[in-house]
Amino acid sequence: MPANHSHLDLLEANAYVRKASESFFWQCTTRTVQESKLFPVNPYIALSYFNAWYRWPELLRKIDAAMPAEEIGDRARQVGSYVSTITAGLIPQFYLGGRQILLDMGMLKPTDAIDDILSVLDFGRRLNLSYHRSHAHVIPSDAGHRAQVHTERQTQVLEADALGVTPGDKLHTAFGRFMATASAYGFLSHCECRLSFNNHGPYMTKGGHEMLVRDMLDLAECDYPWMDGVASEIEHNNLTVVVIMKDTHFNIVDDWGSFEATPAYDNDNLVAVGVYTSDHLSDGYIPVHMDSAEELADYLDDLREKMTDATAGMWKMMAGWSRDQMIDAGLLVYSGVTKDLAHFAGVYEQTDWFEVDEQCQRFKPLMNDEYGGMLIAETVGLLSMSSQNHSEHHMTKFTDARGEMWTGVPYSILADDEWTSGVGPIGPGSTSLPTKSALWTTTRGKLTQEENNRLAREFKPAGWDLRHYDDDWWLKNHPGDPRADDLYKVAQASSAVLRDRGSTLLEDDVQQARAAAGR
Amino acid sequence: MTDTVAAGGVTPYPDKWARPSGTPIVEAYHTAIRKIVAERLAASGRTWEEAVQDKSLQLTREDFEKVEAELLSTGYRFQMSAVVSLQEEPDKYAAPAERADSGAQDSDEQGRPIVGTGDNVFKARADVEGTARFVSDVERVMEMLTEGVPEGTIAVIDDSGGTLTAPILGDFAAVICMGGTVRSHLGILTREYSVPCLMAAELDGLSEGDAIVVEYSKPAADAYADAATAKAQRARIIKLS
Repeated sequence: MPANHSHLDLLEANAYVRKASESFFWQCTTRTVQESKLFPVNPYIALSYFNAWYRWPELLRKIDAAMPAEEIGDRARQVGSYVSTITAGLIPQFYLGGRQILLDMGMLKPTDAIDDILSVLDFGRRLNLSYHRSHAHVIPSDAGHRAQVHTERQTQVLEADALGVTPGDKLHTAFGRFMATASAYGFLSHCECRLSFNNHGPYMTKGGHEMLVRDMLDLAECDYPWMDGVASEIEHNNLTVVVIMKDTHFNIVDDWGSFEATPAYDNDNLVAVGVYTSDHLSDGYIPVHMDSAEELADYLDDLREKMTDATAGMWKMMAGWSRDQMIDAGLLVYSGVTKDLAHFAGVYEQTDWFEVDEQCQRFKPLMNDEYGGMLIAETVGLLSMSSQNHSEHHMTKFTDARGEMWTGVPYSILADDEWTSGVGPIGPGSTSLPTKSALWTTTRGKLTQEENNRLAREFKPAGWDLRHYDDDWWLKNHPGDPRADDLYKVAQASSAVLRDRGSTLLEDDVQQARAAAGR
Repeated sequence: MTDTVAAGGVTPYPDKWARPSGTPIVEAYHTAIRKIVAERLAASGRTWEEAVQDKSLQLTREDFEKVEAELLSTGYRFQMSAVVSLQEEPDKYAAPAERADSGAQDSDEQGRPIVGTGDNVFKARADVEGTARFVSDVERVMEMLTEGVPEGTIAVIDDSGGTLTAPILGDFAAVICMGGTVRSHLGILTREYSVPCLMAAELDGLSEGDAIVVEYSKPAADAYADAATAKAQRARIIKLS
């Protein structure tokens, strides 16, 4: 019986599969294979793909039913949260990774789990289109590695409120030290992966300077049970750091939210910084101790000390973990890249995201360090597995070889080929890690899971009814329109420099306002 | 139909363009798993679509344990990456490789032995002189975390990750990393800390406690350079005593 999908459904799905393959290949081969003497990284990555394969179809349907993917994208691009370039972009990758390995093991056919596959891909595509709506791309590589997530109403505020620095001054020094400590902390809390960080931009600012928006995420007591207690002194779960740089061109802001700059990023080229917090419950960005450079420097110094202590405490705890605990933590970080979608939708359940599915658990005996490493290398770098091989005439992007990372969906399911629908309901799960016990750190305070979900379901951001006017195409022809002013004032509500200034400002106006405010 | 036995052994369904995997261990494991699936499918008498959804036919943890046991029974031993893997299951892993020492090191302009080279993460203001100290396991990090990192430590680190040395990374005078690239996590972190760092270092005759000078003032390595350019731009590690 033909599958209940159209030819167009499959055309779009397979184009997205190929886009994902090529994006992931470039990212994986330019960002290098991950390794760690502490964590068995590649074994946990491989296992996370299985966990995604078996759990995401149902979990994403649950989220989509509560809040459509494109609505989550609309909300998420207004804040710095774990729904970001990297996590949204990884939806097809991790899920198709599980499928590809199972295909190579002969445990699946390309015609299996068709409804699941199309559902996950459709969700991922809608989310990415919406999150990247302002620059009208699906992922940053479509834009030559650029991710201009914000419209002018937001970038004006971020530029206007940034606090000026000069190399060696108190804020400049505090900021540099803080970023180093926060980076080490984020890599450790996320078990050696970069998911704690996301960058978007660049955005052009006065004098040819470029502004990069840098998110640092899940810093406090949050979804990760291993951060209970050890991160109790960290006040904000998410921080968004705005940097304005001179003599620096961010030539790459990629599909993993990583950046490269020409010349290389150098703190001595830092012109101004801003720090904000936000999440699924906040109405945009909330400034953090930005009333003065002195105040922000003192805050960053204090936070750095707390993060240094938390890093030492977390490291000692992790160093005492068993291999199974390290594997579980790492794989749950990876398969949890979609977890904040559930927070936005108000349907987050800890057991959905922080248990390893029994169907994933069974693969653990295979996952020694060497097999894990070679499996990931073949899957995402060498493209050398049998299941990835195409015809003798095939030339893949970047390498001209015969391997393609992810296998598409055969069109035969539209005719009379046999197929299966999906993996079925989520089965039991388990974890070797301690159960989460602390409250969740949010912009509305410390909350229980139930409170967090309830507030998310009740939350309607200011300006939400005007969201379809929030694009620069429309704004170009409607400066001063009451709807535009209302939207701009939402972004300006917590601005020390542009509060209530509305939608008619140009760059010179922003600079005058900055100067008047002593920034 | 293609003869799939020549490339991948017994398989549950045809594959016109089958080929051996790129690495021996993936080939061994996946060939073994395909064989189990094919045999179970044949014995079931079910169609593929029926069988793939039948929980009673699915491969189990015990099946995968057998796959691993079969490979180990040939004498094969795995290469370790994380220290905990070797510690928990020493019988399954090969002993880590010894540190290289050819005894035939080149000399620099002053006749001092060149004991390694690496890709410079960023151009430091000056070269760094210090003491090479290998930081390869949790115990060494714990010791340095508890007692402090000795002054002038140039940490020699096996892997390019940022987690093993996370709590003490900012206390090193400099880092030499034997893995990764300038874009690896350790490269990112050392740049943030302004701790000079070489990545993808190749060592020959460097020992614990050696006094060394490292050319961190060389320009940062170009990650996109061709092989010849990349080799020419590598910074040297020179033994002083």
